[in-house]
Amino acid sequence: MKVEFLEPQSLQDAVAMAKAKGVGARFVAGGTDLVIQMRKTGVLPEAIINLQRLRALGEIKHDADGFSLGALVTHRQIESEDRFLGGLQALRESACVIGGHQVRNVATLGGNLCNASPAADMVPILLCFNADVTLVGSSGSRNIPLAAFIEGPRKTQRAHDEVMTDIRFPKPAGKFASAFLKGGRRRAMEISIVAMAGVVSMSAGGTMTDVRLAMGAAGPKAIRLAQAEKFLEGKVPSKAVLEEAGKLAAAAASPIDDVRASASFRRHLVGVYARRVIELGWNRISEAGNDRSAA
Amino acid sequence: MNSPFRVIGKSFARLDARGKVSGKAVYGTDFAMQGMLHGKLIQSPIASGEILSIDIERAMAMPGVYAVVTAKDIPAQRYGSFVKDMEVFASQRVNFVGQPVAAVVARTVEEAEEAVRAVDIKYKELPGVFTTEEAIQAGAPLVHPAWQEYKAVPTVKRDGNVTNYARLVLGDVEKALKESDRVFTHRFVTNVVHPGYTEPRAAIAHWDDSNQLVVWSNTQLPFEAQATLAEIFKLTPSQVRVNLTVIGGGFGGKLRLGVEHYAAAAALKAGRPVKFVSSCEEEMTSALPRQPLTIELTTGVTNDGKILAKEASILVDTGATSGSGVGVASSVMLMLAGPYKIPNLRLESRSVYTNKTPTGSFRAPAGPQGNFAVESQMDIIADALNIDPLELRLRNIVREGDLAPNGQKLESVSLETCLLKAADAIGWKDRKPARGRGKGIACAWWTTTSGSSGVYVKLGPDGRVFLNTGCAEIGTAALTGAAQVLAEALGVELADIQIVSGDTASTPFDFGAQGSRTAFAVGNACLDAVTKLQQRMKEIAAKQFSAKPEDIEITTGGVKHGDKTLSLREIAAVAQASQGGLIAHGTFIAPPTLHDKERTENMVITAINSPSFHAHAVDLSVDEETGEIKIHDYVVVQDVGRAINPKYIEGQIEGGVVQGIGQALSEEIVYENGIVRNPGLTDYKMPTAMDAPNIRSFLIESPSKVGPYGAKGVGEPPVIHPPATIANAIAAAVSARVQTLPITAEKIVRTLAEVSTKAT
Amino acid sequence: MTEVQLDLTVNGRRHRVSVPAHHSLLDVLRDELELTGTKTNCLEAECGVCTVVVDGKSVASCTMLAAQCQGREVVTIEGLQDGGDLHPLQEAFVEHGAVQCGYCIPGMIMTAKAFLDENPRPTREAVREAIAGTLCRCTGYQKIVDAIMAASQRLVQQGERP
Repeated sequence: MKVEFLEPQSLQDAVAMAKAKGVGARFVAGGTDLVIQMRKTGVLPEAIINLQRLRALGEIKHDADGFSLGALVTHRQIESEDRFLGGLQALRESACVIGGHQVRNVATLGGNLCNASPAADMVPILLCFNADVTLVGSSGSRNIPLAAFIEGPRKTQRAHDEVMTDIRFPKPAGKFASAFLKGGRRRAMEISIVAMAGVVSMSAGGTMTDVRLAMGAAGPKAIRLAQAEKFLEGKVPSKAVLEEAGKLAAAAASPIDDVRASASFRRHLVGVYARRVIELGWNRISEAGNDRSAA
Repeated sequence: MNSPFRVIGKSFARLDARGKVSGKAVYGTDFAMQGMLHGKLIQSPIASGEILSIDIERAMAMPGVYAVVTAKDIPAQRYGSFVKDMEVFASQRVNFVGQPVAAVVARTVEEAEEAVRAVDIKYKELPGVFTTEEAIQAGAPLVHPAWQEYKAVPTVKRDGNVTNYARLVLGDVEKALKESDRVFTHRFVTNVVHPGYTEPRAAIAHWDDSNQLVVWSNTQLPFEAQATLAEIFKLTPSQVRVNLTVIGGGFGGKLRLGVEHYAAAAALKAGRPVKFVSSCEEEMTSALPRQPLTIELTTGVTNDGKILAKEASILVDTGATSGSGVGVASSVMLMLAGPYKIPNLRLESRSVYTNKTPTGSFRAPAGPQGNFAVESQMDIIADALNIDPLELRLRNIVREGDLAPNGQKLESVSLETCLLKAADAIGWKDRKPARGRGKGIACAWWTTTSGSSGVYVKLGPDGRVFLNTGCAEIGTAALTGAAQVLAEALGVELADIQIVSGDTASTPFDFGAQGSRTAFAVGNACLDAVTKLQQRMKEIAAKQFSAKPEDIEITTGGVKHGDKTLSLREIAAVAQASQGGLIAHGTFIAPPTLHDKERTENMVITAINSPSFHAHAVDLSVDEETGEIKIHDYVVVQDVGRAINPKYIEGQIEGGVVQGIGQALSEEIVYENGIVRNPGLTDYKMPTAMDAPNIRSFLIESPSKVGPYGAKGVGEPPVIHPPATIANAIAAAVSARVQTLPITAEKIVRTLAEVSTKAT
Repeated sequence: MTEVQLDLTVNGRRHRVSVPAHHSLLDVLRDELELTGTKTNCLEAECGVCTVVVDGKSVASCTMLAAQCQGREVVTIEGLQDGGDLHPLQEAFVEHGAVQCGYCIPGMIMTAKAFLDENPRPTREAVREAIAGTLCRCTGYQKIVDAIMAASQRLVQQGERP
């Protein structure tokens, strides 16, 4: 089996090559998924298009509108990004629980999103930040909300000749905090059985506002927990309030039974982690000074 | 502390450390030969069925392919430890998913893998049995319909899917249970766990021009590999030469043939050396994991906590072949009775076939399973009687001179010391310090496996000492330990010794790196060699000094006679110049452990040789909502007889405990109708550095009569106690008693929910 | 045969190799360059025995395409030693009893090397986090953590690090 290896030096080249080679071509960035898939299935693509020369896609940028993460930004870059402290710290928390250093040093955010694993740990927090992804293809460029981009397990809106270039999200306004928690059998090297991310802001009156909550690994794709969010809006996180939010979150889960955990345990954990993520976020706001809350 | 020893008791660096940290050590996966081809197995996709046809035509036409090997290419016969029920390649029936049916030999691994996909094998699927409970039902499908034709050792009592029915009986259990104030019955179920060595099983075989089979492999037991290969290929043992590579861990998983036989069969057919390396998927579906056990345990006690009787019914799921499971079914009874003084016993066990992965002898076979049952139940009983669990143990443990369940007289019994020290170190007085936090304790004994050992100890002309052994170094540093014994006795430095290990043609026989015996047995053989060497040294010196050998005095590093001295080096030079060098054949066989044969029926393992004693204690927290466990402190107190090299003993303890924590909390090969649902390291969850706690080890030195300088077996015990110790601590922390392994977060949460439902 | 012509620097030495596009860096190191100090096991970046350092970062060579290493600097365990002298990490592993079977050790040391280069004064907890992707079945990690901590101190003292 002969596989062609293509090294585009520009985005345009990459797109053109993918279009020319058709569905038999595969993009590769960090390679941590593709190489395993090739070995396990024995099925090789006709061509591998290496995106790593597109260095511009490897940067984390910040402007008045918010953040832009290049699709080739690695998990290690995210977990060690100083601007992702304070209110954005859940980005770091989500990035640092994926594989070991060896994987995070090369595995890219774009790869993680395009693979669309239901348990991809970066997705929930990016959903909370209302992230968009940019795809560039032969017919131009388009922005899609991340929530719509991922359609289901291993399914996205990306056409085979489209390259994901970046992931953008606006910085939430005011005083806010974020948190991420995951469940797994070990403390490291775990594919989440439940992943939960949350962002919460504090209103002038000291209540929760602009609450955002998203879960992963508890359904075919990571989703925002709209009902729990709505319920929490304007409230203070009392024990009863958090309990109720947990119940609403658990009700929104549609988990499966697999070798890692049963559906019922996943649902239970969704309730627990939804509550804890909000609680943790709220404690973080309360502990942080006004100026330290956001990056 | 003033030690009477120069070398024993000191934490020297292991002799093979530099090669291992530099990347120069050549492991089985690294070894290569000129002209070598690569083999890949074709595994059965079904758990039970007949092979209808194997079409190799398309595969043979593929580039780089040299041969496709099947059962037809080798002598038709079965082999095995207790029951000869194994085949190299399935000939007519397949009995488990993953069973090798054929192998492809090609120029590269990749070509072999492609050709594997091109071999067309047709099967007729037949009903299988997947649990021991199903397998022992009357009329259950037989995993081996032809079981009666298989040869077996005379001790075993077989029937259909049952490969042995064994009992350990003492006193009158019925009467004792009637007389007991309380009788407790519980059921415990353990998990299938993989040894998890980081180096997969690997071998290269070739047939030389005199038709001798030469194998290089990372086996733990080169001499057993030699014997088994000879049996399979109808050769005499000496027609098979097994050489060792450096070995990337064994833990009992590399005791039996791994891939040597496939390599040999493939090399025979291809006419070239062939290398096989197990893939991770093959490891998870067709290696030799630990047997899962179902144990029903009944214990009768008085109100003040005296155990009057124990009764047990044990099912050992051996998978598709009996393997070491027959042994496990025997030794688990010794574990279940002890380490307590119990006047009445009726334990019975059955080893049973199922259509699943054949199982093996993972570190302390039967130890963790039996200990989980007996030590969990001790805590349940203690709670019910309102007696402190430590106190309940102290009221029942064996002490010096007591008889073990098999009637053997116990010596050098240090169990009470171990328990008290462990309790003290963990802070037992405050056993339930806070809600969600608790401490657990468990204790056990373990055997030091016997079997004979031979070493050649050779002096180089420069006084360097070669320790030539047929025993493998599987990573434990036990051969460095044996070398310390040699250095101590011979009066040389450890650095003067070079270990030469593992070539069945040139090393003396050794029963091998198994059963915590390496430093013990090889060390003793070294002592014997030193005695013989020193006799020869005296003779040589006598000639030089014109004296009588008996008047020559042995000194550290040489001999003397009056004011005349000869160093080891000088003696060696004389010996080399005048009599073909100086070499001694040291041997050792442990004396038999006497016991009461009336008590054991059909047991293939009946004694606990040079027993060691140990206790573990843990302090942990349980998150009641998520079921997550956080281990704060873990303490091991182990009687090692004599700590030959304390640092590597600690290493055995720390590694064993973490392996045991894996069995306790996270590891399990999960089957669904015989299919492994987690055939890789993504979902087979061995502890990472983040999961492993710091472990505090305390070594007790209560010398054994047999071991070198009093040493006892060290390697296996640390893996025995963690499941029970942790289960007991969890129960102390949150009142949830999980009786099946692994104790996952999910089970803890479910058990807590059940407890709270019952309470309301 | 469409193979990729690679100019690869391994342990400071340039190599020109021709490899199929889908082959991993591990394949090239072990099979082409016969640098078997880098080990092979799970082939899915779960065990870490194949860890090498590429451009200063630890990577699982089993899941990195060799073709992607064109022009990059690869360091393997064989490149760590300075002539006959062991690297302080290697020395510390020997001294602290951190080596048992040793099969994970090259990957463990390379994981630690890249980590210490970025974090010269780590805590024990940080070391455990850093090596979580490299499984060891023999040691329980305790003496490995001891060794890495000791090496970090030695490296700082030697002035090789800020």
